[in-house]
Amino acid sequence: MRIRNWLAVVGALAVVVLVPPLLTSSAESASTLRSLRVLVPNSPGGGYDVTARTAAKAMEDADLLRNAEVFNLPGAGGTVGLGRTVSERGNGKLVMSMGLGVVGSVYTNKAPSSLLDTTPIAKLIEEPDIVVVGKDSPYRSLDELVTAWKANPGAVQVGGGSSPGGPDHLAPMLIAKAVGLDPRTVNYIPFDGGGELLASVLGGKVAFGVSGVGEYRDQIEAGQIRVLAVTSGSRLSGVDAPTLREAGVDVEFNNWRGVVAPPGISDADRARLVDLFTDLHGTPQWREALTRNGWTDAFAPGDEFGAFLREENDRVATVLKDLGLA
Amino acid sequence: MHTVVNEPVDKPVNKPLSRAWLRERSELGVSAILVGLGVLVLVDAIRIHTDFAQRGPVGPKAVPVVVGVGLIVVAALLARDVLRGGRGEAEGGEDIDLTEPADWRTVLLLCGAFLANAALIGVVGFPISGAILFWGAAYALGSRNYVRDPLIAAGLSVVTFVLFNNLLGVPLPGGPLVGMF
Amino acid sequence: MDSFNNLLEGFATALTPTHLALAALGVLLGTAIGVLPGIGPAMAVALLLPVTYGLEPTGAFIMFAGIYYGGMFGGSTTSILLNTPGESAAVVAAIDGNPMARKGRGAQALAAAAIGHFVGGIIGTTLLVLLAPTVAKFAVDIGAPDFFAIMVLAFIAVTSVLGASRVRGFASLLIGLTIGLVGLDEMTGQQRLTFGSLHLADGIDVVVVAVALFAVGESLWVAAHLRRKPAKPIPVGRPWLHKADLKRAWKPWLRGPMIGFPFGAVPAGGAEIPTFLSYVTEKRLSKHREEFGKGAIEGVAGPEATASASAAGTLVSMLTLGLPTTAVAAVMLAAFQQYGIQPGPLLFERESALVWGLIASLFIGLCLLLVLNLPLAPVWAKLLRIPRPYLYAGILFFASVGAYAVNADVFDLLVMFVIGVLGFVMRRYGLPVLPAIIGVILGPAAEQQMRRALQLSDGSLTGLFNTPFALVVYGIVVVLLSWPLIRRLIRKPAPPAEPSPQVERPKVDA
Repeated sequence: MRIRNWLAVVGALAVVVLVPPLLTSSAESASTLRSLRVLVPNSPGGGYDVTARTAAKAMEDADLLRNAEVFNLPGAGGTVGLGRTVSERGNGKLVMSMGLGVVGSVYTNKAPSSLLDTTPIAKLIEEPDIVVVGKDSPYRSLDELVTAWKANPGAVQVGGGSSPGGPDHLAPMLIAKAVGLDPRTVNYIPFDGGGELLASVLGGKVAFGVSGVGEYRDQIEAGQIRVLAVTSGSRLSGVDAPTLREAGVDVEFNNWRGVVAPPGISDADRARLVDLFTDLHGTPQWREALTRNGWTDAFAPGDEFGAFLREENDRVATVLKDLGLA
Repeated sequence: MHTVVNEPVDKPVNKPLSRAWLRERSELGVSAILVGLGVLVLVDAIRIHTDFAQRGPVGPKAVPVVVGVGLIVVAALLARDVLRGGRGEAEGGEDIDLTEPADWRTVLLLCGAFLANAALIGVVGFPISGAILFWGAAYALGSRNYVRDPLIAAGLSVVTFVLFNNLLGVPLPGGPLVGMF
Repeated sequence: MDSFNNLLEGFATALTPTHLALAALGVLLGTAIGVLPGIGPAMAVALLLPVTYGLEPTGAFIMFAGIYYGGMFGGSTTSILLNTPGESAAVVAAIDGNPMARKGRGAQALAAAAIGHFVGGIIGTTLLVLLAPTVAKFAVDIGAPDFFAIMVLAFIAVTSVLGASRVRGFASLLIGLTIGLVGLDEMTGQQRLTFGSLHLADGIDVVVVAVALFAVGESLWVAAHLRRKPAKPIPVGRPWLHKADLKRAWKPWLRGPMIGFPFGAVPAGGAEIPTFLSYVTEKRLSKHREEFGKGAIEGVAGPEATASASAAGTLVSMLTLGLPTTAVAAVMLAAFQQYGIQPGPLLFERESALVWGLIASLFIGLCLLLVLNLPLAPVWAKLLRIPRPYLYAGILFFASVGAYAVNADVFDLLVMFVIGVLGFVMRRYGLPVLPAIIGVILGPAAEQQMRRALQLSDGSLTGLFNTPFALVVYGIVVVLLSWPLIRRLIRKPAPPAEPSPQVERPKVDA
């Protein structure tokens, strides 16, 4: 009797200790043959997730890697994932998919880790925002909108698809500053993503909306919404609207996404990761993914991305400090 | 501090009586929890600094203040109800025998099994900690089959691990030996 | 007529053997994965996205439709059998579904849920075919004031689930509202009750709260008072729905979609609030009100039909406007984009064959869901015959995996434990659990819509009632609140002489 009990316990122990490693061994042995883990700091289907999974698939298809494992660690606007990345100091086989949204979240969440702690690997893509109104809106040009806005900031509601600190929040604040409005007077209303915002723009609930162009292309083409300006430096194909600068507002603003690695990785690891993403950038698979998703290529490797990241961080910090959010 | 001061005075006559009195009215503890929660919510709400851009008459403080005050009011009403003889009716059920006194040993063992999983999952991996959770919980609830229980626990844990980790690509910590083979 | 022809063509697309097989595979995979802890339909669709990479778009979307409905049904299955809802739309199904299962009526509860999903889905999808453009136009007119009015209505409705003691019911509601406060304030980004922890910044997910209060709380409570003597297994009962069950359930099945569909179609509508409203509606209308909370079949049938119809409503705004109103819709939108298709106002014109094929496959997916899952209901229900220690150990195991797997974070397990202990205390002192869940769902939504409405009107209080829709809803609220008074006024003349003083007496006390 006793012996049977012990045998059962030993058997159970053997199962729980030995089976998982045996079953995961194939994937793990590939780790010596260049594998990569990609941390996505938001949930499946979100922006960073789509970027990461698309990039991972393109790398595998182009034989740059044997195995790229994408996993999600969502929370607090990406800062939970950032915290994890920073704590994986020295791990040269991990990168985090991130973007402008995480920069702002670090401030609004008062997160202990900053993006400046990470090792920048590459900026991948950009997506300009658009200033958009419904087709029945009284505003025909950015000029008319700005005039009305300056006359009574409270009555001109600004809708955006991100919470305070996110890209859709920062863009109108920068515009307000450029036209001489105190950002604190801006009546910004956050919506749960571009979709919910779109309903409010279509229904005329908000005076104007600021959001990424990607989600709205079809509505623009159908004439249901009118684009008053694009925030990028040059005009967008298929969107009949001036840039902010052309419309007399001295702001250039792009939402962007890129990848960073944990701090303290070796120079060799860093060079390998930068090379990997540079190679990715050259593959036809990535080209095709860019056009399919309507992303603007904005590749910037390593140090160039690092400098950009510092600039963006400063710009975001200034705006949020003006607003009392940082 | 207060109890120390009061003790010599109250001890001889009141203590056994007050204990029974309190035991009968242990639901006052729920009132205390509600007051505690209410105070916590209010303190937290006051702490929110309003020195930032805010539009509209209702800011981030208003709703917490309403909820906090509500908690304290309900706590007072509940205390009044209990002192007047009202008692919350403990929930019955198919597997529940309310005629027996509460079996705290079982509850604590079950809590232990749950918390052991939480504590160990990062150290020894999910397959082991999950098996401990299942076996521990089954043991706490009176299962004493030392052959079947550990084997079921191990099987369930490993199958779940494989299902999530290998088939769905939701990573779970595999344990100390992962990567050794 | 035009849409009817299109739909026929859609069926022609969807009814090829390959597409039927894909739909069936989708339903099976969706159910299997939806049953797993912590994985709702949104996760199921996201995780299975890679499976469809090799397929052409029509086939892929037909499979998605199956996964989606299968995932929803899978979430309800665990809700009913193990008291651990797999997704937020299935939370309400646990309230009466689990007691039914405990009484040996698990097969009936599952059948009521499956048929509810089927009926709700069929009605919802039919409405989608007939009304999509009209509803879409209406949907964008619904704004924050309208939502807030609905929230007020929902809060009034909470009073009917407070239980025997009002004070304790309110205490529970306030506990729920407190849990709902945790996280960053959505309007201004200020931290509330997070104690500086990033883990709490997004708030506590309603599914985690529901699983903790229902499953963990109950396991602890059962542990304290385990009935040890007779180890009789849960009776299996008859495998199929009885005539009496059908008689009680058919109206809720038909009423549910009327509540669910409009909610699904409007942005920010979701499925939690309509399922709850369906539940209280059924409770009000039922002749068996005392059975609610103890295993009333109406309490499963109505909310499940609502959930499914709300899912169909979601597709209206996604296909016609490109608006993802729920997490699942957002994932599906991402899937569309993977194929280079941008849902929006032009989708019906550009990708007509694909859209109608998808809609036809929704019908087919629902039929397959019913055909595959109805016979399985008695099999699933037998799961509860395992010995009690294993059952509750399994529930705790299941709940833990669900809480941990999503974020791979021990913190979530601790949150679940703390709320579970709270659920234990609430059971001990007769605080009903349901109002707390409602508080978690309604509180944040109501606050957000109220503040958004006030911001839209730049601080003017008229912003709360400046739409006709909101005024109608407030009218209903006033009627409901004054209903006892109105009833007395109506009744008084009717039976002229004797009973009026006796009728009035209890009213005065209440």
